[in-house]
Amino acid sequence: MTPTDAPGHDVTTTLDFLLQEVDGLRTRWVAPRRLRVDLPAETLPALLELLKGRAGYVHLSAISCVDWPDDGQFELVYHTWSYELNVLVMAHIRIPRDPGVYLSIYDLYRPAAFFERDIHEMFGLWFEGSPDMGKFILTEWEGPPPMRKEFDGEAWVMEQFGWQEYRPEWLTEIEAKGGGISKRPEQLRGDKGEDGTA
Amino acid sequence: MRPENYQAVSHPPSHEYEVFFGPNHPGIEGNYALKVRLHGDEVTAARADGGYLHRGFEKLMEGRLWIQNIALVPRICVPDPVPMEVCYSLAIEALGGLEVPERAQWIRVMQLELSRIAAHLFTFGGNAATTGMYTPMFWGIADRDLILDLFEELSGGRVYHIYNIPGGVRRDLPEGYLKRVSDTLDYIESRLPDYDNLMFTNQVFVRRATGVGIMTQEQALDWGVTGPNLRATGLPFDVRRDDPYLIYDQLEFDVPVEEAGDAWARTLVRRAELKQSLRILRQVVARLPEIDGPIRAPIPNPLAWNLPLGDVYTRVESSKGELAYYVVSNGGDKPWRVHVRGPSAMHAVQVLEHLVTGARIEDVAQIMFSLDACPPEVDR
Amino acid sequence: MSDIDYKQRGSLLNPLRSLGFFGRPPVTQPLEPRPASINYRGFHLNDWEKCVGCGTCQKVCDNAAISMVHIPDLPADPAKGVRPERPAIDYGRCCWCGLCVDICPTGALALSREYVHTCVDADLSSYFILPDSHGIHGQPYEKGWAKTADADLISLLREPMPELEPEQRIENFDEIVGGYDPQQALLEASRCVQCGMCHDACPTHMHAPQYIRAIWEGKLEEAVGWIYQTNPFAHICGRVCTRRCETACSIGHRGEPIAIRWLKRYAMDAIPHERVKQIAAAGRCETPSGQRVAIVGAGPAGLTCAFDLAKQGHAVTVFEALSQPGGMTRWGIPEYRLPYDRIDRDIDVIQSLGVEIRCNTRIGSDITLEELHQQYDAVLIALGLQMGRGTRIPGSDHPQVRRAVDLLRQATAGEEFGTPQSAVVIGGGNVAMDIARTLARLQRQRFGTAQVTITALEELSHFLADPVEIKEAHEEGITILPARGPREVVVEDGNLVGLATWRVTSIFDEQGRFSPTYDQEDAQIHTAEMVVEAIGQMSDTGLLGDELTERLAWNRGRLQVDSDGRTSEAWLWAAGDMVRGPDVVSAVADGHRVAASIHAALSAAKEQNP
Repeated sequence: MTPTDAPGHDVTTTLDFLLQEVDGLRTRWVAPRRLRVDLPAETLPALLELLKGRAGYVHLSAISCVDWPDDGQFELVYHTWSYELNVLVMAHIRIPRDPGVYLSIYDLYRPAAFFERDIHEMFGLWFEGSPDMGKFILTEWEGPPPMRKEFDGEAWVMEQFGWQEYRPEWLTEIEAKGGGISKRPEQLRGDKGEDGTA
Repeated sequence: MRPENYQAVSHPPSHEYEVFFGPNHPGIEGNYALKVRLHGDEVTAARADGGYLHRGFEKLMEGRLWIQNIALVPRICVPDPVPMEVCYSLAIEALGGLEVPERAQWIRVMQLELSRIAAHLFTFGGNAATTGMYTPMFWGIADRDLILDLFEELSGGRVYHIYNIPGGVRRDLPEGYLKRVSDTLDYIESRLPDYDNLMFTNQVFVRRATGVGIMTQEQALDWGVTGPNLRATGLPFDVRRDDPYLIYDQLEFDVPVEEAGDAWARTLVRRAELKQSLRILRQVVARLPEIDGPIRAPIPNPLAWNLPLGDVYTRVESSKGELAYYVVSNGGDKPWRVHVRGPSAMHAVQVLEHLVTGARIEDVAQIMFSLDACPPEVDR
Repeated sequence: MSDIDYKQRGSLLNPLRSLGFFGRPPVTQPLEPRPASINYRGFHLNDWEKCVGCGTCQKVCDNAAISMVHIPDLPADPAKGVRPERPAIDYGRCCWCGLCVDICPTGALALSREYVHTCVDADLSSYFILPDSHGIHGQPYEKGWAKTADADLISLLREPMPELEPEQRIENFDEIVGGYDPQQALLEASRCVQCGMCHDACPTHMHAPQYIRAIWEGKLEEAVGWIYQTNPFAHICGRVCTRRCETACSIGHRGEPIAIRWLKRYAMDAIPHERVKQIAAAGRCETPSGQRVAIVGAGPAGLTCAFDLAKQGHAVTVFEALSQPGGMTRWGIPEYRLPYDRIDRDIDVIQSLGVEIRCNTRIGSDITLEELHQQYDAVLIALGLQMGRGTRIPGSDHPQVRRAVDLLRQATAGEEFGTPQSAVVIGGGNVAMDIARTLARLQRQRFGTAQVTITALEELSHFLADPVEIKEAHEEGITILPARGPREVVVEDGNLVGLATWRVTSIFDEQGRFSPTYDQEDAQIHTAEMVVEAIGQMSDTGLLGDELTERLAWNRGRLQVDSDGRTSEAWLWAAGDMVRGPDVVSAVADGHRVAASIHAALSAAKEQNP
């Protein structure tokens, strides 16, 4: 993306210039008003402080967590918005999956409390300094953090709940003639058929 | 039922009480609980409790094909489902590099604004009911039904439209549809004086809402509040105007604000927004017949559709505020990750707890509803 | 700021304004179910005449609400892609999203405007419904959400195949079809809905859904592996297969079927030959059985059988009368459709498994069947249909009346047969097209211009030839005259000058027997220096020898075999075109069938006599 596609030379220049103050950043304009920043985890607080203090990034839109088990990492994405520049900055960091601990940014952004609590509940990450890591949604859940990739939600459901067995008359009639259900929907889910077709 | 909800606890006689709002439809749109601690009739502490509507949408979406998820997303916010469908579709389109045809974009805006009107009518009704006024609720729901009729004709479904699909929309407008949209707009417009008379100039409501649940602009920004709740503190920010998507930049509309930041200001903002939505819809009805062309970009066979590796954050302005989807593709035929950022996640938890604390018990319901929280957005 | 004066408390009489509501009609709803809107997504309707039981609805259903039900009363027609199965819907799971309607390849499914159903617990089974075109309560309801052209989720159009333009190809034997590039192959493969109709229709039941899926996933070696599970004539079938799979393809009901043949070709061309050999050898038995099999005829049936038996550890020798193996695929199919190097590759793979091929060895003259019987544990004859049939019309004994298969063989061998400046071909099948198009090319090379006419008994719509062949023959300047019956070869002063024909009025009699009748008023003479007969082939069974011919059981001039291809002589099997009629992929299927039979017989013999 060339800077001309971005919201305006002055804004992009402002941001690009400002972000030079933090070391180890890789920035990329992925769309007009969308700036992606990849950076080492330890640099994130400095970046956010800079953005909030100098470019009006007062709005933390969300913190998203992505599980990358093959890389042994969690990706955390901090989506912040400036009501002055009207540009969304998405700051991507990666932290090791084990132990899965990171710093809270609650002292910079109050909404972080909700997102960090949510990520803790769903992915099992721990945010040091977050005000409340208590359960919120999964109050009665004792299993592993369900959004982790190793938790197979579908398998759990299959184990937990049965399929309704229906005996309608039409089916009895067809079975009497030698027919019947040839492929159940559950055969399509997960396991592959005998001949390998999904 | 959760253990703490049914275990009888004997307290020594005191002025301290614990009162549960919810979890069965505590006056807001879905099951949710607010536990407040009272000293006399004053709230001394409050604790929001979610999870009653958790269906694990984000996890479910990881196990379904890109297209299949269109049947899931509207369920994340029942009263205002269209922004969910559009926001998800926008994300897939960005990842897949799909160009949405112009006609489809206009049809989407039409649905989005109809959905906003329906949601606001619903909210007015519920909000009035918190002060014991039930007529606005009956009216609001009856008038909202006329919009649901329009959705039913367009999409075949009254509430879960499942009408937007990555690439555009699933059907073109039925014959004479815009005329019926226009008629419905006329009717709703003709009802606005009735609503003003019944609710917005009604001192019973006005006085019960004024000065209740005050949030300053500084607090709102601090807490990440968006949408009408933010605009009721004087900040004129609207995703439609300031981070435009679809064809909103071709439309004329105002972003109404109020300064007071109380329940009444929030209600007034919604009332003014409803009029702006009518204004937008008038423009859509006028322009749409001129815009020909396909209603959907060509998409591959949904059973064999890989999206390129990448991620995208799309947002739209729902009736509750800034709705965003963060979607990650690992190059496969299903999402690797979908994160739904419901606007209510902000104002239904921290903000609600703060605003309720210090309020009187009779205002708790008013505060809850004036924030227009949608619990399924929080629970997902 | 607000446009209303909400601080104004108004007059005490304000409530009186509400009296106006007495004049407004009340909001009433009838107790009866309201009629649903035109797009309503209610219970399913399924047109059983259109539904082919492909199960695509089941695949797109995100709620696992659809079961496929086998219904024995319904017609089954694998060749046309019709399965006696219909979807049943679990309304305890359905969310009425309508994706099943939008994806249905045939357009059989729709949602109706019926939306009321409820029951007590004991009748819960009423939630599981096998929808047909009547409503779920037997009461007809109009369609609601139904298929529309702009909302179809099936891509009906095929990826276009790059081909040589007529002017680029009419003077040479260059391959016409260019083949897909990776992007095209991926897009074409992505159209497949994995219903498996192709698999059912294919004579050798190729795993087309699996290799198409593998191509879509970019796993081309895996695709080749699937192909070799059922077909060692992989390059050849990737180019000239009669592709019954595509006739059965579910997408073909409303659109262009998946280009299954071209996808196979793509996968085969994409993998290096040496790697293909390794893939083809997978599952090969490493311990020799010590048993020997002789196969007569190195065509698709014989070599497929050789491939299977060699993989099972038997020592296989193939005897071929002509100078190179391949049978009709080499000697009958022109190079512009099937380049010889592709045949060489397929055969090299088969040879790499240890199959020995002895060319220029004619049974009857170089070695007799009786000798093979003595030297080998089992013998297969797969002679093919090498001899052209004649029309036996007056003058057809003239030396300038030729048989198409002979000319094609000579063309492949590069022999001079005296290319005529003008020719008439009798016949409307693929062989007629092949010889006509070959002659036209040779004419252009020699004379700069071509003059070939095809006459056939059938109307154009009933030609046996592949429509693509007919189209391309037209493009190459060949005149096709349908519904013309040959009357006589016109000879003047000993020179052939043309073919006289009549217009055909009917081909079959009332009993359906072949008995053409002609309108004798409508006679024409097509001038030509050569007449080519391309009306069918037969097998050269003379080489069996009188004594063996006497012993074998025959059925109307055809060698009689059991369902596994075994003749009445326990040591002798027969397979391929001579048994099944001309078709490469049927011959391949026959080769597998007969190989299984031979392997079973050999294994049994070994157990009895270790």
